[in-house]
Amino acid sequence: MHEVKMNRKKDKGFESPRPFKLTHQVVCINNINFQRKSVIGFVELTIFPTVVNLNRIKLNSKQCRIYRVRVNDLEAPFIYNDPTLEVCHHESKQRNLNYFSSAYTAAVSAVDPDAGHGELVIKVPSELWKQGDEMNVLKVYIEFSLDQPKGGLHFVVPDVEGSMAERGAHVFSFGYQNSTRFWFPCVDSYSELCTWKLEFTVDASMVAVSCGDLVETVYTHDMRKKTFHYVLPIPTAASNISLSVGPFEILVDPYMHEVTHFCLPQLLPLLKHSMSYLHEIFEFYEEILTCRYPYSCFKTVFVDEAYVQVSSYASMSIFSTNLLHSAMIIDQTPLTRQCLAQALAQQFFGCFISRMSWADEWVLKGISGYIYGLYLKKTFGVNQYRHWIKEELDKMVEYELKMGGVLLHPTFGGGKDKDNPTPHLHFSIKHPHTLSWKYYKMFQCKAHLVMRLIENRISMEFMLQVFNKLLSLASTASSQKYQSHMWSQMLVSTHSFLKSISNVSGKDIGPLIKQWVDQSAVVKFFGSFAFNRKRNVLELEIRQDYTSSGTQKYVGPIKVTVQELDGSFNHTLQIEENSLKHDIPCHSKSRRNKKKKIPLMNGEEVDMDLSAMDADSPLLWIRIDPDMSILRKVEFEQADFMWQYQLRYERDVVAQEESILALEKFPTPASRLALTDILEQDQCFYKVRQGACFCLAKIANSMMSTWTGPPAMKSLFTRMFCCKSCPNIVKTNTFISFQSYFLQKTMPVAMAQLRDIQNLCPKDVLNFILDLIKYNDNRKNKFSDNYYRAELIDALTNSLTPAISISNEVRTVDNLNGDVRLILEEITRSLNMEKLLPSYRNTITVSCLRAIRMLQKNGHIPSDPSLFKSYAEYGHFVDVRVAALEAVVDYTRVDRSSVELQWLLNMVQNDPAHYIRHKILSMLGKNPPFTKAAESPLCNEALVDQLWKLMNSGTSHDWRLRCDAVNLYYTLFGLTRPSCLPLPELGLVLNLKEKKAVLNPTIKPEQGPDTTEMTGITMGVHIPVMGFTSSLDEGLITMETVSSVSMSSGVAPPPQGLKRKLDSVVGPLGSSSPEPGQVLQEEDTSKKFKIRFNTVEEDEIDMESPHDSQAFIHHHLNILERPSTPGKEPPAVDQAVLSLPVTPLPSSFGKESTSSSKHSGDHHHHHHHHEHKKKKKKKHKHKHKHKHESKDKERDSHAFSNSPASGRSVRSPSMSD
Amino acid sequence: MADPAVMAGGFSAIVGRSGCGKATSSPAENYQLARRRTLQVVVSSLLTECGFESAEKATVESLTEMIQSYISEVGRCAKAYCEHTARITPTLSDAVVTLNEMGFNVDTLPGYAKRSQRMVITAPPVTNAPVIPKALIAGQKRTHPSHIPSHFPEFPDPHTYIKTPTFREPVSDYQVVRERAASQRRDVERALTRFMAKTGETQSLFKDDVTAFPLIAERPSSIPYLSALLPSELELQTLEETDSSEQDDQTDSENTPVNNLNDDPGADKENSVLLAGGVVPLVKVSEESMIDNPYLRPVKKPKVRRKK
Repeated sequence: MHEVKMNRKKDKGFESPRPFKLTHQVVCINNINFQRKSVIGFVELTIFPTVVNLNRIKLNSKQCRIYRVRVNDLEAPFIYNDPTLEVCHHESKQRNLNYFSSAYTAAVSAVDPDAGHGELVIKVPSELWKQGDEMNVLKVYIEFSLDQPKGGLHFVVPDVEGSMAERGAHVFSFGYQNSTRFWFPCVDSYSELCTWKLEFTVDASMVAVSCGDLVETVYTHDMRKKTFHYVLPIPTAASNISLSVGPFEILVDPYMHEVTHFCLPQLLPLLKHSMSYLHEIFEFYEEILTCRYPYSCFKTVFVDEAYVQVSSYASMSIFSTNLLHSAMIIDQTPLTRQCLAQALAQQFFGCFISRMSWADEWVLKGISGYIYGLYLKKTFGVNQYRHWIKEELDKMVEYELKMGGVLLHPTFGGGKDKDNPTPHLHFSIKHPHTLSWKYYKMFQCKAHLVMRLIENRISMEFMLQVFNKLLSLASTASSQKYQSHMWSQMLVSTHSFLKSISNVSGKDIGPLIKQWVDQSAVVKFFGSFAFNRKRNVLELEIRQDYTSSGTQKYVGPIKVTVQELDGSFNHTLQIEENSLKHDIPCHSKSRRNKKKKIPLMNGEEVDMDLSAMDADSPLLWIRIDPDMSILRKVEFEQADFMWQYQLRYERDVVAQEESILALEKFPTPASRLALTDILEQDQCFYKVRQGACFCLAKIANSMMSTWTGPPAMKSLFTRMFCCKSCPNIVKTNTFISFQSYFLQKTMPVAMAQLRDIQNLCPKDVLNFILDLIKYNDNRKNKFSDNYYRAELIDALTNSLTPAISISNEVRTVDNLNGDVRLILEEITRSLNMEKLLPSYRNTITVSCLRAIRMLQKNGHIPSDPSLFKSYAEYGHFVDVRVAALEAVVDYTRVDRSSVELQWLLNMVQNDPAHYIRHKILSMLGKNPPFTKAAESPLCNEALVDQLWKLMNSGTSHDWRLRCDAVNLYYTLFGLTRPSCLPLPELGLVLNLKEKKAVLNPTIKPEQGPDTTEMTGITMGVHIPVMGFTSSLDEGLITMETVSSVSMSSGVAPPPQGLKRKLDSVVGPLGSSSPEPGQVLQEEDTSKKFKIRFNTVEEDEIDMESPHDSQAFIHHHLNILERPSTPGKEPPAVDQAVLSLPVTPLPSSFGKESTSSSKHSGDHHHHHHHHEHKKKKKKKHKHKHKHKHESKDKERDSHAFSNSPASGRSVRSPSMSD
Repeated sequence: MADPAVMAGGFSAIVGRSGCGKATSSPAENYQLARRRTLQVVVSSLLTECGFESAEKATVESLTEMIQSYISEVGRCAKAYCEHTARITPTLSDAVVTLNEMGFNVDTLPGYAKRSQRMVITAPPVTNAPVIPKALIAGQKRTHPSHIPSHFPEFPDPHTYIKTPTFREPVSDYQVVRERAASQRRDVERALTRFMAKTGETQSLFKDDVTAFPLIAERPSSIPYLSALLPSELELQTLEETDSSEQDDQTDSENTPVNNLNDDPGADKENSVLLAGGVVPLVKVSEESMIDNPYLRPVKKPKVRRKK
């Protein structure tokens, strides 16, 4: 039902998926032990039942050990079951990612708070049931502890002498999306708001920073500890609650006394500097939103080993300590400011205003990203802003074209096709926790770009009015006493957002939303033109590619800007179904007036040298969609001189960057000149100039044979940065002009890319760079030159070319090339100096490590990962570790080393820093040791098992990491069963034939007998758990199990609609190795279930009969989906749910298969209505067979069409019949 | 009492000299040796006079020592007498008084000198008088003013009591300066890193020759972010030099010393805002009462009976 509700068209308001309303929660943490890394505390939730006879309360909790639960002072039995601990059970040898993804989605759904589920099910004592009638308050009191938490809370305890405070030990909460359940039991949903009282008792030397207002700090009786009392009167979702405890230094913001900053010991001076402009960001947001900051205080905490750079919670943000910097650092300054601005934007939209459901996430991310963009524009200028927009757009377009679309507002359960709106992805987008991290990043990126599109449509003024409206509604609601319907005003939904837009602006942005929000993918344009001299008309042709993955068709207006001799003209063309050509009349005659200035778009009039242009045409340059008002990629063809004019005279940085990119294809002296001119222009945006450097290097390489004069950029650099009297010596550093500074940094790096005829870096250039290093003098500079020196090392790295080597020659010192020897000397000296005088963020070490890896890769020095491995160890600065790990990852790929791969995977499992684990997996995904396309000795069964285990159960404490592991698995093995796994044996094939079961050869299921046997065993293991968990269901369990088994056994991933029925998952999902927190109560009932379980097992065997492993899986999926609260749903609900069974397999299957699956769907539907327990079973068996057949057909056609490797089991579709 | 010191000094002086300037020290030693040898001859002849045929070396040595002491004492005493009468050169009378003082009857001296059996000793070999090392002459010595007689000692070198100017022609050529600074820095860095590499653990890029391009072994740190984020002392020093004027404006008195150490109130644009405000450090102490920030409030004492 809930999913249906998410569909915003029908959305009327927020309805809680829970049979109760949470109004207040107390979190009290009595003890935090840094030595043992443990936490003890209790929570108390005040809830109002909204139904009569509330007998179950479902809460979220992960990895907590729960000691007791009391409801209104009565002991209450409870069950704690977390299906995400181990996604796939029974060590089935299924290694198929499709299977995993659906099982994982099912597991996450089973405890999804947005659907009213949870890991912790509390049985309300029967004495209280009657109270439900009077809607009395229930107080749920839960005592819990956490021991060495792997997720949710992160302890940083440096291994040095002294007390915990002296050691700088601290702890902080973290997580990706709603992850608060990792550290205390709660309703971990962004849509369940309540007020908070938070108490933390910590060592007297520590400070506990949390959400809300610090009311008081009280010593304990022994005066060795103190308790921090926080009150958060603004209704807030549990997911927005955080905590950090440590011996923080406290800085009250000098401009805003209600803002307090916290950092680790010794960093206070950096904190002072880094926070000195926060008030400006505050002022900016408050001004544009015409709204006060919603909370009465704000806290920033800077912690080590942060999970992400910025994470925002109600009235506080946790940052990485590595964002702090001193006044000497240039490069970090804007980055830190940007992070602060992001954090603050999320305070308004994300923390204060929360979301109704996951499908509405895009609104929050979009708005916070959008207002952050406005801050960028104001602080860093329009150029920077437009550059950023272009960068984000390019990034997103690239991702979508590569991976398929990013869908902002997924709707589920609407219909067949909608069930899996993104079949191209190897993960489900139904939950934030199943998303790939990269996808989520692109999602955020797209969200703010779409907000910008809306702004383009309705104007910024209206846009800000909408935001203001949302905020003022929310703040009115927040000040209300508990009245649940008012609090929901603090939740934003797609529907309410769009409604405000239409109310405020009176404009219909439906098509825009439909195109970019309800639909994934981007537009890909190809443009070309011809000038018709007779008609004085520009014939523009705009084609689209909407067939390849990640693309969609665009119909609607598009802006084209044409710069002619007489000025710049905007034309709005209509892109329609069939028209490709557009005639645009030109304003100017080609006969140009001599000496006349040419007016530009911005009103400026400039002199141009028009000799390069075509004498017959008045066109200087043409731009398609210059304002980036479509999410698109444009490939436009125009002549080289037009690109050159565009680069020189167009004032928009986006246009300049586009032309730089285009000029790479035109290595001519004219291009060279245009680029050089841009490089010399002070007024030009520095990032454009930086881009021009690299382009110039590429052009120079293409023009190698005809190049005249000194190496590209050398004389320019000399003129700009070297002494007048001695041109070979660089001036002493001042870095007063940041533009010049960035250019000075970039030019050597670009120059080092130059190559001579032998494809070597010219000797001149190398010596030049070596001289820059030698003569670098920072003594008189008030800024640090660490980034500059690091880039000079990068330049040396860039100059490296592969060594000429006789095959198999061992790399020794003696046969080191002379130039390389010089380079190596610089690198070793710099690296050694870093040990004595470390640079900020160890930038130089990072560059040196990269350089050494490059030397190894090019065969100058022996390839050896041991140096990198030592730098990658815990205890180095995180940037250094990442650089070293990157080198190890690269080594693993190049040398196909299984030892290093193991070492890396080991680190993924054991490293204390979560960021490093994540980084290793994402780097392995980016630079994989092998891919599904290629054979590799590394690809073996053990690795498959290991990775499988990693994503199945090894990463249950960190959503992000699990998704990273899934990504890596996908990169290495693809969606289907990895090819390195043993093929099914011949006997099996025969066996299968008898049963007329045809398998998808790529799935490679288990042997029939094997499976049976194994299932028997695993089921045996699980009997107790099963029995226990199903205890709640009392007599109804059997029926439910059976029906659900039959229902979807033939349908690949479980139908969406069913999932919402999933309860705290029972049965096999209770892992065979129970979590510490799993507390088994109600022992008295456990005996019964074994008996009942037999019926399940029967089904099990029944399932095996087709010897179809797929059926086996589905069986498990179904058990997983079996609701634990049967009979609660009115029959109408079931019906609605059941009418949506869907096959997630692409619709490209044969007609036959579609119809058959529909058929089976009908069957389900029909069947489910049977409430008789006995009859049902028989029918089920029947149906199973039927369904498996149809399923097999499907799969067969799948195999046939999709798998060119079907040679493994030569079988035609007809054979299956 | 002072002997050990003297000895030690002398020893080290000799050692020191042996290294650098043999030419100056040798003659002085020779001179001493020659004198001593003469004395030994004197002692031996006296012994022969008295009728000894032979003597142990140690005895001769002791007697030599005695006679040397005696003569030295006579000289020292005579000098003292002469200086007592404000002269600088001893006269005969000084010597006579001395001898008398020491209990020697001077009248017997002429008789002894004219004794018959006395032996004639050959003159000591001529040796070069020790060359007094030339003192460093720096600058012009001042001449005596008119009221000071010329026999008074001269003024010492001006550098010992006025100042020590060093004279080096400054290299004005920019290129050379830069060149020299760069190479000097590079040499220092190279020497330093080589030294560190030689004295500590290293990592190597080459398996065949671990001494080529040694890398100082990395050391994991327990708190890696401190060294990576905080500016090094050198950088701070640089900063102080480059904008010491701004530094003065800062009132850091309230900060703890640790903070002071790392505080780098640069005068870049961000910080200038901060400086203009100027209340940052003050906030904590002087305005604390005015700022109502819950984190600055004192921690409360526990109540007698607290709700559990």
